[in-house]
Amino acid sequence: MNVAVCVKQIPDPVEPYALDSNTHSLVREGKLVLDDSDSYGVEMALQLVEANGGGEVVLLSMAPNNEMGGLRTALAMGATSAVLVSDPLLKGSDALGTAKVLAAAVRTLDPLPDIVLAATESTDGYTGTTPVQLAELLGWPSVSFAKHVEISGGTVKVERQTEAGYDDVTSPLPAVITVTAGVVEPRYPSFKGIMAARGKPVAEHTVASLGLSADEVGFLGARQEVVSVQAAEARSGGEIIVDEGDAHASIVAFLEQIKVL
Amino acid sequence: MDFSPTPEQELLKEAVAGIAGHYGHEYFQEKTRQGAKPDELWSELGAGGYLGVHLPSAYGGGGMGVAELTIVCEEVAAAGCPLLLMLVSPAICATLIARFGTASQKQRWLPPMASGEAKMAFAITEPDAGSNSHRIATTAVHEGGRWALYGTKHYISGVDEADAVIVVARTGTEEATRRARLSLFIVGTDAKGFEARKIPVEIAAPEKQFTIFLDDCTLGEDDLLGTEGEGLRQVFAGLNPERLMGAAISCGIGRYALEKASAYATHRTVWDRPIGAHQGIAHPLAVAKIELELARLMLSKAAWSYDAGLDAGEAANMAKYAAAEASLRALDQAIQTHGGNGLASEFGLADLWGTARLLRTAPVSREMILNYVAQHSLGLPKSY
Repeated sequence: MNVAVCVKQIPDPVEPYALDSNTHSLVREGKLVLDDSDSYGVEMALQLVEANGGGEVVLLSMAPNNEMGGLRTALAMGATSAVLVSDPLLKGSDALGTAKVLAAAVRTLDPLPDIVLAATESTDGYTGTTPVQLAELLGWPSVSFAKHVEISGGTVKVERQTEAGYDDVTSPLPAVITVTAGVVEPRYPSFKGIMAARGKPVAEHTVASLGLSADEVGFLGARQEVVSVQAAEARSGGEIIVDEGDAHASIVAFLEQIKVL
Repeated sequence: MDFSPTPEQELLKEAVAGIAGHYGHEYFQEKTRQGAKPDELWSELGAGGYLGVHLPSAYGGGGMGVAELTIVCEEVAAAGCPLLLMLVSPAICATLIARFGTASQKQRWLPPMASGEAKMAFAITEPDAGSNSHRIATTAVHEGGRWALYGTKHYISGVDEADAVIVVARTGTEEATRRARLSLFIVGTDAKGFEARKIPVEIAAPEKQFTIFLDDCTLGEDDLLGTEGEGLRQVFAGLNPERLMGAAISCGIGRYALEKASAYATHRTVWDRPIGAHQGIAHPLAVAKIELELARLMLSKAAWSYDAGLDAGEAANMAKYAAAEASLRALDQAIQTHGGNGLASEFGLADLWGTARLLRTAPVSREMILNYVAQHSLGLPKSY
């Protein structure tokens, strides 16, 4: 079976992020790294392929300046190849614009993948809407928040995380599935994997080569506009419970209130 | 001139930092306290191919150079797990076997050393021949199709966890100079006539130090490594990688110390501001940082020279000197920055002092490096 994984290359979260003062969009110049939340999708893809008789794991990424820093990490982990879409026209793309690009990238694959995996949301944007939009554009079913994924008889069985526990969901293939962080333990690349990554094929595309028009993507195509940005409210000091023999009751009440219990 | 690492070196750094960071200094401290070895970390590094990055790919290695091995060494130490055995097993012993071993010696030793399953120690130092290898007294006698070793070796690291030891022994004397003709032997730690005794030292590290007694230690013809009588020249091929790994471990310890010190000085507030805002705290840390980065720069240059087949002796010596001094300064200042906490076990600094301090003395002492630089770099008269 073949699995495609959407991987986002993001500015290193270790460094403070900057917003463009005119567009309020994240400054993405410079070195980009593999979004940690996508390393789970890559690992899941590798495991699914290994468990189902082999196949290919193809990475799909949209990034400025033909950036490959994050793709290299995922290729070193064991992915077979990558499709990288890079074009100045993509600057300012919203979630839907990104989904259009990724859908076009999926369609360049021959054969089409059996599954497209993605993280539930990216670590730099957090919209969490791109994967389901991608599924809609492809006309495929989507299952989100997967905490366990298994292929069985041409269908995919997913344990879908919910507030109360999880739902068992079965879906026909092909499908788009988003995986939660922690669904699997991402492997560290081996040194052989690192050296092999250098020779793996990366198909580079632009907006035009994917057959998209300039007004569908980037700032021109965006249906969403960030009109203003405000600093997040500073965290308040929290509530201190003094134990006078009854602290447990207060703590249980608090946990019930936030629906942990 | 391009100082940037290759994409592969960046990935290597990231992967090793990830693996070692997963274990961290508390793991290392706990193992040391129990008198145990950091086997899990060593095995995981071996399984990922990281202990053999510099070995030929035909023998299970990564096919790259010493530059890559220094990255591994430094990253592991920077995560608070300085592995002194890396100086010995992969850096000297595996390098010597890869360079001078027969096909069967390479086949026997390199794949398991690359995967971390086999370890080797290196025995050159003797009670009466420290840095003067010409006075080595351990003798190998060739008779009746076998070798017999006699002698004592001192301060040999990691013998208790090694499968074998490369022993430097005298196999003859130069007529003209009366200097020893040396040869190298691969001696199994289970060989007859091989005995190791632990030397108690005040270093909190999992690697222990040993005296080795060789008394009619019997070896086969094929236990000779390289050419008989060429031992000293061959050893020099392994000494530069060893110095570079020493420098890499020092740089790693320095980075670890400065990272802890910066974090502490940023958050610790005694009066109305973090202590790091005071120049009395900030400037010494800045000085330590500058010296550390200079040492790392020389380390990169030395590793690059070695891999490019250039004479790396001067740069390797300078890197080793600079790194040992920089790490001691960084660690000392990190301890000072932490006040009383600097000596507390849970802050994980003071226990590294022994290892950082050892690297001023070993694998080549500060004074021998200064001799080298005085003589070779400055052209001053020889002092010994």
